[in-house]
Amino acid sequence: MNFKQRILKTMQHEEPDRVPVMGLILDPATTNRVLGKESFNLAAMLQSGELDDATLKALQSDETWNQTYLSTVSDSLESAARLGFDANWVIYSYMQLQPDPQTSLGWVWHDPYGRVWEIGSDNHGNTTTNYARGLCTTPQKWEAWVESKREVFDRMIDSVRAFHIDVVEKFGDRIYPIGYAAPGVFENCWQPMGFPEFTRLMYQDPEFVHRIVAFHTELYLRFINAVMDSGVEVVLGGDDVGQKTGPLVRPAMIEKFFGNSYREISQCVHDRGRTLIWHSCGNIYQFLDMYVDWGIDGIITMEPTAGMELKKVREQIGHKLVLIGNLDITRLLVSGSKEEVEQAVKKAIADAGPGGGYVLSACHSHSEVDPERLKWMIDAAHRFGQYPLSLPAN
Amino acid sequence: MSQEILQQIREQLLELDLDATVAAARQIVDQGDKKLAKSAVESLTQGLEIVGERFQSGEWFLNELVYAGEISREVLDLLSPLLETGDESTQDAIVVGTVAHDLHDLGKNIFGSFARSAGFRVIDLGVDIPVEQFVDAAREYQPIAVGLSCMLTPAAQGIESVVLAIREQEFSVPVRVIAGGAAVTQELVTSVGADAFAPDAVTGLNQIRAWGEQR
Repeated sequence: MNFKQRILKTMQHEEPDRVPVMGLILDPATTNRVLGKESFNLAAMLQSGELDDATLKALQSDETWNQTYLSTVSDSLESAARLGFDANWVIYSYMQLQPDPQTSLGWVWHDPYGRVWEIGSDNHGNTTTNYARGLCTTPQKWEAWVESKREVFDRMIDSVRAFHIDVVEKFGDRIYPIGYAAPGVFENCWQPMGFPEFTRLMYQDPEFVHRIVAFHTELYLRFINAVMDSGVEVVLGGDDVGQKTGPLVRPAMIEKFFGNSYREISQCVHDRGRTLIWHSCGNIYQFLDMYVDWGIDGIITMEPTAGMELKKVREQIGHKLVLIGNLDITRLLVSGSKEEVEQAVKKAIADAGPGGGYVLSACHSHSEVDPERLKWMIDAAHRFGQYPLSLPAN
Repeated sequence: MSQEILQQIREQLLELDLDATVAAARQIVDQGDKKLAKSAVESLTQGLEIVGERFQSGEWFLNELVYAGEISREVLDLLSPLLETGDESTQDAIVVGTVAHDLHDLGKNIFGSFARSAGFRVIDLGVDIPVEQFVDAAREYQPIAVGLSCMLTPAAQGIESVVLAIREQEFSVPVRVIAGGAAVTQELVTSVGADAFAPDAVTGLNQIRAWGEQR
């Protein structure tokens, strides 16, 4: 059984030859360590003032962005394939470099939805990009923003399609690249405004909120359709609705404003015969039944530090959802011992593996995740994840 | 009449009805009654304590916590001309900021807004704050606590750096360190020697309130 067959059988809640292992590798710090590459620090270059006008202009072009981004993701897929993962998530992001006197660097990324992303560097000297604030802090600003970005959205969707086709062509015979349509509709609604302002609007101007949700749903459908044009049978979608102790927003309000949006997205994916796996960080127990109702086929992440436990999730939802993830990235896959990694793998497989429908993976990614520990995780999955499982149920 | 207004402020806050809560506060402003304005702040505080209890019990969610804070802030802004706040430096202070290399400020802002609404003086240093800036602020304001927010695991080592630097200082009153955020766990807080873990804004504020009462 090859990696693709293993993943697809698991998506059907059937037992393949062994529990598949998926990478959530994105960070250059991790890929560089696997591939032996040098770090690249855009923040340091911008700070030093060594970039001439022609280079800065090139950095602001779509072409440079797309080439650089594809190169970064290719590295992550190459490193995931070398480590032995069956699949890796693949996210396309579109940003434009903009001067910004508010930051010490003088430059930031703008995404087309209206967010500012600050450019920094990680502990290993690689470029990092982090959401900093929104640019559309009122409904009027948001209306003006999206009106001015219509042509940018069109270009972004074209780039999404070309990117995912490229990735599947380059890596599809070695690893399963699961395309991820992100950010989600809820995130795209609130982050350009800020959470307090968006919360206020949910209470005081629900008609506007319905309008912004409809706008982002339509755009998201175009995005996920462009991902599916690459031919992959499984796609990732998502929306961060959880925080450390529970939902960010009352689930009934999520249903009121976003439920039909999510139903449309899952219907769109199913109409094309694909499987939809959904991502949310945080504690999401209260959304599990809603995911099933919205038509979502599986979930990815399940952060243990937010209280998510595979056994409890399975008890609550049975095999109505495929489960992916749950291995800790705060300590286990950063500095845990080999024995601890093996124990965590055994527990995850025992809790979620019986009957298929579980893909082992880290619960997320960041620059301190250690490739050696990822390799231990994969090796342990190969040792203890052979079907029929012989691990005692926890 | 006065009791009715105070009751209305508390109850409408708990109904998350911004217009009705502000309308009640406006009656006090129209009357120009300073004593009643002070009582209104107490009613608001009582209401927020119930909001916090509902959040902690899981009955209410973050959006409700945030919106209640927004309503309270509007009411306090409206009443402020009638309130004799005195010297701001005498209010119980809390210094907050995200640790170095972390720009995610949602949790910090929610905590800050809630703490301000509850009557604390919040010195918000912002995001990506170097250790020295936390130390300088702690020395200047002698706060009940320095609140560290951290969402990114790679940035979490910044918590220990701040704890160590704060411990090296000498204060005339105890200055505690409390940390919260997606990357923070009780295990981490214990290992770096911080005073408390804040799994959410309300728990954090309750802890700081308890420390304040011990001062």
